[in-house]
Amino acid sequence: MISDRVKSNLRETFGESLLPKLGLVLLTVILVMAMFAPLLATHNPTRTGYFHENGGPYPPPGFDYTTTVAQDGEITQVEVTATDEHLLGTNTIGQDVYSRFLYGARVSMLVGLAGVTLALLMGVPFGLIAGYYGGRVDDGLMRLADVMLAFPALVLALALIGVFGSQPIRVPDPIVWAGFAEGMPESIPIPGSVTIVVALVTWVWFARVARGEALSIRNQEYVKAAKSFGTPNWKILVTHVLPNSITPIIVLATIQIAVIILIEASLAYLGFSGTTLSWGYEIETGQDVLRTRPWVAMVPGIGIVLSVISVNLLGDWFRDALDPNIEGSERGA
Amino acid sequence: MSMAKFLFRRTLQGVFVIWGVVTVLFGLRAVSPGDPATLMLGQGATQDLIQQVREEEGLNDPIVVQYGDYLAELVTGDLGYSWRSEREVEAMVIERIPATLELAIAATIIALLIAIPLGVISATRRGSPSDYGATLFSLLGISTPNFWLGLMLILVLGVWYGIPYPTLSTGSTIPVGIGLIDLPTGRRAVGFGEAFMTLLTEQSFDEMTLWLKHITLPAVTLGTYFTALITRLTRSGMIDELGKPYVTATQAKGLPGVLIRYKHVLRNTMIPIITVLGLQMGTLMGGAVITETVFNWPGLGQRLINALSIRDWPLMQGIILFVAVMFVFINIVVDALYTYLDPQVSIE
Repeated sequence: MISDRVKSNLRETFGESLLPKLGLVLLTVILVMAMFAPLLATHNPTRTGYFHENGGPYPPPGFDYTTTVAQDGEITQVEVTATDEHLLGTNTIGQDVYSRFLYGARVSMLVGLAGVTLALLMGVPFGLIAGYYGGRVDDGLMRLADVMLAFPALVLALALIGVFGSQPIRVPDPIVWAGFAEGMPESIPIPGSVTIVVALVTWVWFARVARGEALSIRNQEYVKAAKSFGTPNWKILVTHVLPNSITPIIVLATIQIAVIILIEASLAYLGFSGTTLSWGYEIETGQDVLRTRPWVAMVPGIGIVLSVISVNLLGDWFRDALDPNIEGSERGA
Repeated sequence: MSMAKFLFRRTLQGVFVIWGVVTVLFGLRAVSPGDPATLMLGQGATQDLIQQVREEEGLNDPIVVQYGDYLAELVTGDLGYSWRSEREVEAMVIERIPATLELAIAATIIALLIAIPLGVISATRRGSPSDYGATLFSLLGISTPNFWLGLMLILVLGVWYGIPYPTLSTGSTIPVGIGLIDLPTGRRAVGFGEAFMTLLTEQSFDEMTLWLKHITLPAVTLGTYFTALITRLTRSGMIDELGKPYVTATQAKGLPGVLIRYKHVLRNTMIPIITVLGLQMGTLMGGAVITETVFNWPGLGQRLINALSIRDWPLMQGIILFVAVMFVFINIVVDALYTYLDPQVSIE
């Protein structure tokens, strides 16, 4: 599938620059956070009511604030200080921000990886067949791609959410189910329709790249040779065309994960993700208290930026190493 | 092929794409849950009234007939009526165009003004601190969701200068300050057209300044992603071009570096940049939806979100259709621009 030349290029560029290493470390940390959220979390992320005795939510270190309380008929100023109990403070309804940060990584990574997988499964076969056979199938695909591209991805995603709704699918959390993390939410909300929607708005990029590759591969000598032996077309597609077009598809897939994470965050921010455990949703709730409780919006945003940066760093590394001249690699949401 | 023939063919293709967009939108509306008549009349409507409206609106007709009617209406320029406000969709779209257009153009201008020099400096001084700075900036820029960036700008400016502002959800109008200049964080006090007219008729800069203040933060928020993207493109494009033999030749001829960089190399780099800019118009519109929500900016994006949350399909369709037409039009213009930028590109 992946040639030795490609592998040695990857190794070489990895050694040369600090950035791919940084990307890899960041992504690993975020994936660990996402996977083991129930073990790393200090509180149930959906439990409300963790407030300071003086009334307001706990601030993270460095964000102590004063608030007014009525005591014995008098209004007095009181300090609200950080606590070790809540590492990053609590939000407006008293939920633990650190624990929600971990669970937010889950939603982002789940939608990013599942969305890109779905988009790959839709786009790549379609693109390969269109490019390989050419003719009407190809014309049809290219016209469809033109139509899809005329919709801004986020706008199309919003319209599709209008159709599919945004109910999450609840799946039992294996770690909690196995009894390793008591008191944590028993099920993981997977934003199923959001995942389908992001795949529906991004698959066309994969189809275009796969088509371009298939178009150039179908005239190669080895494909002609296979044909002359009477190898069936589907077999040529699977054994020759797919493996030889995989490199640019991998590069695109990496970049699209970043795009999908951003679309998911935007949908959640606009209130269409279906789960309250999304970073985008958390930012929306922090917006109204931006001045007085700035950490509520700050923390999840940092999560989004770090995830997207880590994926983009890996995408840049792949692209530099594999150097495919692919269309769409510089196009985002 | 002549330019006229080329434009004709591209326009034909564009019409086909728009037809596709219309069909997709119609399909989405047809399969979306919720009965249009009920949505129009509200939950309390009687069955008789719902049936009457269904009949009047042709909702009882076969889907193919409905599709035909819809196309026929669109061809005559009729976008229908909003289900909720019962106003003409056309008017509701048109009145929101200036705000979005101003925002999009301002963001693009900011992006080009910053990104191109930054990309050129970065490419010509590879490995220097300014190159690393530009690379870091562009990495952050393409990785930051713009709604969060908008909020952080408000936060940082507000906290640094300690000027209070009310919550955003209620539509803030009280400014956040950068030193002596007040930068409002919401609303659009005056349109560019209006401000420009005051400038011409009364020779007063007041309205213009007001416009500029209001648009600064939203435009920076929307423009950051593009600034980052174009910086990256300019840098990589320039690096490719600088390695070409003609650059060495012009250097050998003794042409000054600045002239080589900006007149020859940049010109050749502009082609991919313009292509991406054209294709990114969709992203720009998507970004505008979000930015308008953050800053309470009265544009098409804000109206789209409102329409979506109450499932007002005619209004949604009208706005999305407008965006798609803009996208197709801009990309035809981009294709035509190629021939001016690069004489080697022939129209085919």
